[in-house]
Amino acid sequence: MTPSAPSFVQQHRIALISLLALILLPFIVGVFEGASPLEVWSNRSGASKFIQGLAIEIFILALYALSYDLIFGFTGLLSFGHSMFFAVGAYLTGIALKSFGLNLWQTFGLLMVAAVAQALLFGIVLPRVKGITFALVTLGMSSVFHIVIMSRELGDYTGADVGLQGVIVPDFISPATERLRLYFVALTILVLFYLLYRRFVDSPTGRVCKAIRENEGRAQMLGYNTFLFKLAALILSSITAAIAGALHTIYQPIVSPDISGLGFTVTALLIILIGGVGTLNGALVGAAIFRLLDFGLRRYLGESASFINGAIYVLIVLFLPYGIVGTWQLKASLTFQQMRQGWRHLLELFGLDRVRHVSKE
Amino acid sequence: METDIILETRNLTKAFGALVAVDNVSIKVRKHSLHAIIGPNGAGKTTFFNLLSGNLEPTSGQVLFKGRDITRQPVHRTIHCGIGRSFQITNIFPNLTVFENIRLAAQATGRDNFRFWRPASHFKQYEARTWEVIEKVGLKERTFVPARTLPHGDQRKLELGMILAPDPELLLLDEPTAGMAAEQVPELIALIREIQSSGNKTVMLVEHNMNVVMSVSDTITVMHQGRVLAEGTPADIAANEEVQTAYLGGLYKLNA
Ligand SMILES: Nc1ncnc2c1ncn2[C@@H]1O[C@H](COP(=O)(O)OP(=O)(O)OP(=O)(O)O)[C@@H](O)[C@H]1O
Ligand SMILES: [Mg+2]
Repeated sequence: MTPSAPSFVQQHRIALISLLALILLPFIVGVFEGASPLEVWSNRSGASKFIQGLAIEIFILALYALSYDLIFGFTGLLSFGHSMFFAVGAYLTGIALKSFGLNLWQTFGLLMVAAVAQALLFGIVLPRVKGITFALVTLGMSSVFHIVIMSRELGDYTGADVGLQGVIVPDFISPATERLRLYFVALTILVLFYLLYRRFVDSPTGRVCKAIRENEGRAQMLGYNTFLFKLAALILSSITAAIAGALHTIYQPIVSPDISGLGFTVTALLIILIGGVGTLNGALVGAAIFRLLDFGLRRYLGESASFINGAIYVLIVLFLPYGIVGTWQLKASLTFQQMRQGWRHLLELFGLDRVRHVSKE
Repeated sequence: METDIILETRNLTKAFGALVAVDNVSIKVRKHSLHAIIGPNGAGKTTFFNLLSGNLEPTSGQVLFKGRDITRQPVHRTIHCGIGRSFQITNIFPNLTVFENIRLAAQATGRDNFRFWRPASHFKQYEARTWEVIEKVGLKERTFVPARTLPHGDQRKLELGMILAPDPELLLLDEPTAGMAAEQVPELIALIREIQSSGNKTVMLVEHNMNVVMSVSDTITVMHQGRVLAEGTPADIAANEEVQTAYLGGLYKLNA
């Protein structure tokens, strides 16, 4: 051990402080609302419930955005059908609990099977289509799913355009009576997946994913069967998003069919663009900003909120092409040179650059 | 006996529409030799390499490596059977560090690619190999900078390093010195020659610099409009009338 090596705590200062803050958040807010931590703990007074709810929504969004960062930010797969990964989790959970009366563990097992299956479905087309074509094909797949969800014929199960409601959530994580527990369950799941992702992106597998994002043809030439790595990223991403969807169903009284539309994929994209593409932390920061901004603006501006919201996102993407976390990591003030590099980088990720690489015809 | 032949092509042909870029090429490459492919621009040298490395599928014909047919093998298998290929136009991972570019090349032929629960730095053997290669190609001063920030000459060294890392038996080098400053060329060529002779490797080299080709090659194949125009030792080629008129244009004379 060299004495100059930073300790674990020093190295992960920001992460640990954030985690501690999130653990204490319900109690601190409770104190401000006049409830002792003990009352908050026993869920008796209903204090800080609102904040807990908002935080749970952010955790779910963050988990969902993480899963998108893995395939788009790290592997360079531009999917326009990502919302399907989330919606399958949400609807499957709701239907399994409500219509088939399965318990939570059976539902979870089913969820895993479905998550892998849909990743394989997206994966089939991988060897044939690249870049923007992959985006359109995945959009097509998720649109079909959206239509199925909305169809009258399945209305008994899905609730069609009204949304899925009346899902009976097991008491021990009921958002109504055991919200604090649900808060910690959601937080724990988010933290576990975050740690898993940190591991994954720095593992031999994750490093190859980054290489694929940078120059897939070269990665193949180095001897990697890139298809398998993209599939691995898709599977992990799909499992994550499906779990986020399941939490969504558990928390929300009504599951709106909007979560299977293109709009919700764009939400994931926006979150990581704000936070910083390919940083993981960006997904967390972006999700918090996205939700809080939406909440705050809606509260004070009412209808015009979404316009202002959009303008803010455009400004962020334009002036911080690396996103908030990405810019932070540059550790220096953003020069115009770096901004141009950042825009170029974004264009490349969207497949809109003109760089071509030798690849199999 | 043909056991000293490492690579053979039989009537290899590639047509892009009406243009036949590689036309019925049959060559044999001897093990442990340095075999140069020369020819004017557009002769089909790069296309020929693309057929050998699996980047392109031939219209017809065969590629045999150590007697085995590898003609329609997917490109990611190429290195695993022992063929490394570098590119005329630098083809690297621009935003990854020099170290990571080579480390990825070293990792590819190992068995740890799907150990996703361990950090890559845990696998010391690839890092050790990376340091060896970095030392060899002379990039020690710039190990941890993004590859795109390297000067062109160093990017060419990196390109070479990426195919040395997995230690292939046959190296296909497509103009490794392309765009390099003239004073850097001899150093790189010496390195290639050294790798070839001390490592018992076979090298196929596309190169425009005639002095280099004449001095380092064991065998030279001259391509012209997709076809093999001549083949032989440097002395044979220099003395070949047809080559002189079609390609060298009388500009290059042996011992000139
Ligand atoms: N993908 C392609 N599609 C169509 N034509 C191609 C393609 N690749 C190469 N060609 C054509 O094939 C011919 C041979 O090209 P190639 O790049 O193999 O030549 P080369 O000998 O490597 O030339 P140079 O010395 O300039 O590198 C050229 O006329 C080129 O325009
Ligand atoms: Mg060429």
